[in-house]
Amino acid sequence: MAMSTGAGNQGAVPNINVTPLIDVLLVLLIIFMAITPLKPSRFEAKVPAEPKNQPQVNILPNPLTLVIAINKDTKQITLNNEPYGDVTDTDKLNQKLAETFKIRTDTGVFRENTNEIEKTVFIKSPKSVKYGDVVKVIDAAKAAGASPIGLQIDDLQD
Amino acid sequence: MAMQVGGTAELNSEINVTPMVDVMLVLLIIFMIVTPLLQSGVSVNLPRDTISPDEDADIAKDTSVVIAIPDNSNFYIGKEQYPLDALGDVIKRRMEGKTPEKRIVYIKSGVDVDYGRVVQAIETIRKQDIDKIGLVADKKKGGAGTNAPAKQ
Repeated sequence: MAMSTGAGNQGAVPNINVTPLIDVLLVLLIIFMAITPLKPSRFEAKVPAEPKNQPQVNILPNPLTLVIAINKDTKQITLNNEPYGDVTDTDKLNQKLAETFKIRTDTGVFRENTNEIEKTVFIKSPKSVKYGDVVKVIDAAKAAGASPIGLQIDDLQD
Repeated sequence: MAMQVGGTAELNSEINVTPMVDVMLVLLIIFMIVTPLLQSGVSVNLPRDTISPDEDADIAKDTSVVIAIPDNSNFYIGKEQYPLDALGDVIKRRMEGKTPEKRIVYIKSGVDVDYGRVVQAIETIRKQDIDKIGLVADKKKGGAGTNAPAKQ
């Protein structure tokens, strides 16, 4: 894409090379396309129903329940009260959950009255933990295959 | 795009391309600035680089209820700010007439917000008999093309 001016050789005539400008433009466009988030995504979570006031003495805890709790001071994660790393290192948690689900899938542990493997995970976090840390834990649980993810919001520590 | 200039006796039109490129660059910069602002609502520092959220095109729709929690003090739906007690009524109104699968409220909360604030919003949502929450997060880019949302 050359531009040439013909006559008039008296003054200095700038010959602007346009090709690099178009290259810069295309690079900017590609960067812009890569950075803009196109489709929004989300973690779907369920909330358990509000606890009624009557004492629920006859409800047995389900032995298949998996509860992930976050310690507000140490930011450590526990799965059913056993420690598995902390919010910055969720690999241990992810591994353990993945193993548990694999065992359940292989041995056929189904949710009551359904044909789905029991993969419910509950997340319990104190109120002072940052939302970003809780999301990391949810992300790790989801990546291991948890479904559905329940958020416990009653009786939380501060 | 080489253009030859003829003799001095004829009319010649040399189209100077430089200004056109300038105009194009200016337009590009304008679009780069305006597009994020066009997305309605307040800006929220969403969790980024997450591995496993599911895509959900409903989040961007006007019919969905999206509660934005940019910081520890306010709740926003769209551009309007609401105090916690007013949230319930707004949610109830906007959820009227939705089919059971669409009864989900999305929460766009910033990473630095205390989980307790998010829990307050979730409690309000639960009072309206809605048990599905969508926690909006940005997915880490760089994988192969993303697929349709998986059904649970």
